[in-house]
Amino acid sequence: MTDVRRERRDVSRVRTIRAVALGAALALVVAACGSGRGSSDRTANPTTPSGSTGTAPIIDASQCDSSTLTQGVTGDTIKIGTSLPLSGTYSPFSAILHGESAYFSYINSLGGVTVAGKKYKIQLVSKDDAYDASKTSTNVDTLINSDKVFSLFNVVGTKNNLGVRETVNSDCVPDLLIASGAVQWGNTKYPWMLGSELVPYPLEMRVFVDYLLKNKPNAKIALLHANDDFGQSYQLTLEALVKGTSLSIVKEASYNAEGSEVKAQVTDLAASKADTFVLGGTLLACPNALTAAHDAGWKPLIYMSGTCVSKLLFTLAGDGADGVISVTPLLDPADPTNEAKPAMQLYKQQVKKYFPAEDLLDGIVGYGWSTAAMLQKILEASPKLDRVSVMETARTLKGISNAGLQLESSTFDTNKTDWFLGETFQLIKYDKAAGHTAAIGPISNLDGKTAELSPQALLHS
Amino acid sequence: MNLDRVHVTRLVLALVLVVGAAYLFGWYIPQFKESATTYLWAEAFYIGVAAMGLNLLTGYNGQVSIGHGAFFGLGMYTTAILMQSHNWPFVATLPVAAALSFAVGVLVGFPALRVKGLYLALVTLGLAVLFPQLTSRFVPHDLCRTCGTSQVGELPRIKLRPPSWTPTFIKFNDQWAYYAALAIAVIAIVGVALIVRSRFGRALIAVRDHEAAAETVGINIARVKVIAFATSALYAGTAGSCFVLVKRLATASSASTFQISIELLVAVVVGGTATVLGPFIGGVLVVFSDRYISESFPKTLLFWHINDSVKNLLSPAIFGIGLILLMYVLPDGIVGGGRRIATVAIRRLRGRRTSPAPT
Amino acid sequence: MSLFLTQLMNGIGSGAVYASLALALVLVFRTTGILNFAQGEMALYSTYLVWYFTQHDLPVWIAILLSMAISFVGGAAIERVLIRPVEQASPLVLVIVTIGMFLAINSIAQVQFGNDIKLLPRAYPNKTWLPGNVQISSDTLVLVGVLLAECLILYLLLNRTRIGLAFRAVASNPESSRLVGVPVGRMLMLGWAMAAAIGALAGALVVAPVGLQGASMQSILVYAFASAALGGFDSPLGAVVAGLIVGVAGTMTTQYLHAVHDIELVVPFGLILVVLLVRPSGLFGSTRVERV
Repeated sequence: MTDVRRERRDVSRVRTIRAVALGAALALVVAACGSGRGSSDRTANPTTPSGSTGTAPIIDASQCDSSTLTQGVTGDTIKIGTSLPLSGTYSPFSAILHGESAYFSYINSLGGVTVAGKKYKIQLVSKDDAYDASKTSTNVDTLINSDKVFSLFNVVGTKNNLGVRETVNSDCVPDLLIASGAVQWGNTKYPWMLGSELVPYPLEMRVFVDYLLKNKPNAKIALLHANDDFGQSYQLTLEALVKGTSLSIVKEASYNAEGSEVKAQVTDLAASKADTFVLGGTLLACPNALTAAHDAGWKPLIYMSGTCVSKLLFTLAGDGADGVISVTPLLDPADPTNEAKPAMQLYKQQVKKYFPAEDLLDGIVGYGWSTAAMLQKILEASPKLDRVSVMETARTLKGISNAGLQLESSTFDTNKTDWFLGETFQLIKYDKAAGHTAAIGPISNLDGKTAELSPQALLHS
Repeated sequence: MNLDRVHVTRLVLALVLVVGAAYLFGWYIPQFKESATTYLWAEAFYIGVAAMGLNLLTGYNGQVSIGHGAFFGLGMYTTAILMQSHNWPFVATLPVAAALSFAVGVLVGFPALRVKGLYLALVTLGLAVLFPQLTSRFVPHDLCRTCGTSQVGELPRIKLRPPSWTPTFIKFNDQWAYYAALAIAVIAIVGVALIVRSRFGRALIAVRDHEAAAETVGINIARVKVIAFATSALYAGTAGSCFVLVKRLATASSASTFQISIELLVAVVVGGTATVLGPFIGGVLVVFSDRYISESFPKTLLFWHINDSVKNLLSPAIFGIGLILLMYVLPDGIVGGGRRIATVAIRRLRGRRTSPAPT
Repeated sequence: MSLFLTQLMNGIGSGAVYASLALALVLVFRTTGILNFAQGEMALYSTYLVWYFTQHDLPVWIAILLSMAISFVGGAAIERVLIRPVEQASPLVLVIVTIGMFLAINSIAQVQFGNDIKLLPRAYPNKTWLPGNVQISSDTLVLVGVLLAECLILYLLLNRTRIGLAFRAVASNPESSRLVGVPVGRMLMLGWAMAAAIGALAGALVVAPVGLQGASMQSILVYAFASAALGGFDSPLGAVVAGLIVGVAGTMTTQYLHAVHDIELVVPFGLILVVLLVRPSGLFGSTRVERV
């Protein structure tokens, strides 16, 4: 208790000194320019953008407080923060944290990540938000201002990240590798956000509609989606993509995203005699819907959200999961043909070392591991260790490959017009007897296509 | 003699409170603190305000509600929609949110007349559970204006800054939120103090203690109960408006609305039912314990290594056990219990000099 | 028509679960007059115990019986240790104590067993029959069967045994019962014990098909509260009937009321409001007459 208080006093003393210094500096600036107080955001000394390339920078750093651009880097440690559901209905996502922690422990044991020729250890601070956007907002405030992290990393949830985007924008904090495939991360008004390698939801719908047009051109589709931002991404894109084709949506139903009760909805959809079932839900709603469809004796072709690709969820669905189609940007840890691959061996060996109780075969752990590896790639590609350079780098990634369990022949790129990572991915089908997924066809490469394939209303919202 | 004793107790209590408040708030100047803590204080203030409102209903009037999260949400959404879609300044939204909450409070208060005790608690629980489902269905998203099909009820796009009329030492939104919530808290405290000492306040207590008896002395029971409900809704709604300023978004889920309702009830009982300041203090405690319990964990406990994940999982247990213990020690809450202990102490002190008065 | 009947069966299946937990709530309320917010979390802990036993190679049914036995003792212990000291306190204090228990049990269960999703083996085969296109699953049949068994056992216990007589005496008037020599304290413990055991059974059965996690019981508890209020808080029969009504109302809303199909709680709570306005003590509850 006393420690806490002492620390806080110290903070206040430093702040006081800084405030006095800032005040003096500001007085000079004001005297020179004759301008009054600018924007209300935490704006002090404007800096010149330190772009990594010769071309015009994507990040406008003129509004950023230069004194905070290297916040979170002390000595040889980079402190990063994350907020995710560790309790409540969405708590199974906490397995992501284990994958991340295992990766950082591993990379720290090798000395850390190398940025601009120097090695840094990664320190990850995690906070529980129970998937509640208002708690995420509080957590992010605390991470940025109390824990003084360098950047945010893999914060889970669409609405959770939408809720903090004004904050990260005005505080100039990179919100890196957001754990959501929503397309809002392509909104150019919010350049401090970058989605993770999760496949953008509209692309999921694009490849599945292509698959249908080729293999089942007269498909009658029934759609079940969560009644939130996440589920709506599926609804809006599917409706847009089906329009004007030989496919048709015969029935739609939504379920309450706070729970996973979908039985009555699926019974209703099953009665529609649709021959194709698109499942835009996540976590337990997925196996529940698959089981309900199976119990109803309904045997449509099923597409399930890429966020549900997890051994555990497939297992829960039992017989209902057989033949389900989905997408993934990563190797399936449950597939024995991946066993010999070096990336997979490293993953299994290290996760087993740091989290012996964790189910290595689960895709959710593999996702956390791979996202942590992605962060390393971004940091190491940055010419300097400050927030502007790192964000600028994240926006201009070239040929990122082999990040964690990334598919072998896939590369991720971003550039001025393409702000999405997970645009190279694999259409997969679950084989219940074998207990893992198998690829259908070649890898889909839709690099740079997310913006044009997304409903514009979503993209700019 | 008796009166004297009461006055002395009150004087001592008031003194302690004033010194305590001066220590806390005089010591806390947001300009020298980081924004996360400032926001936390602002949150503590508005939760305190809502708890004081609930106390009017539950503590003074005896109607138990576990659904005030719904009124809180109503105020939140009113302010958020007016600010975001109609570009109103925050302060202008306050009267609208307050009036709307009051009006809905009246509407709910009438059927509540029929239902008592536990059943009332469960009907209000229904409010808390339903409210977020209604917003998620009917509150328009930004999307809605462009596409027409959205059903999503989050309003996560609010940009805030202190208004131009505020003094120049309020530079940033966290400081603005802090002073706004503090001002509202002060007004709310004075409000409750005035209500409790008024004729209406005595009617509240009379109705709680004995409805039939209250009726015989000419109190309009229905009116008193409905106004009590609406007033507490007004407090909750105003607190909800402040939420927007602090969190820069509006969001409601069944879990969060239920949680706020429960937090308010906990704040009332922990602080002291039917005391003016108790619930406010309880609210502040609830908000701060939420953050500092997990932060003050040791790294290891005996042989047990406590990692971040365990900390997060275990802190509700610490809070829950703390609640149970507090209820054993001070069933009448911090202020109620404190007052009781102080009275006993003073009686003892005086008892040495004069013989105890028969009670 | 077959769709209607299928949704009716779906509703009865989930309703049976709400009814079981509502029954537990009513048992606690009748004896100790407490609205037990922790009932769902007690059931959660019991279900984690079932999972734990099956991990140690016990057959599922044995694991469930063992967990019920432990819960029975645990429920009695909670009453004796946690509730008894504040028995005479105001109802609000008791509510806060059960909220404290809610938080503590939920968090301890997750720390002890881990917060990932647990797979619970089914205690019976998962089958679906389609007579005349009406879908009937073994889940529904088992849940309804268990509910009926619970009702029967409770009925026999309460109405045909001396303990039951004493229990009912305590429920209707603790003071007089004490005077005629009924061990009131033990009866209160019995109420909590039975409630905990019923919750354990309901939890293990409802969670098996969908996976077990920390939040598994929370939405069920809300429905159980709704059922108990609808049926009348002091009526076991009311809790059962209302539980089924709430379950069926939910699925029917999803199927037929498209304006509110994803907010299936609207109808149950609307129902409660209407019923309580007409009968302020619920469908089967007894009205208390107050002497002035």
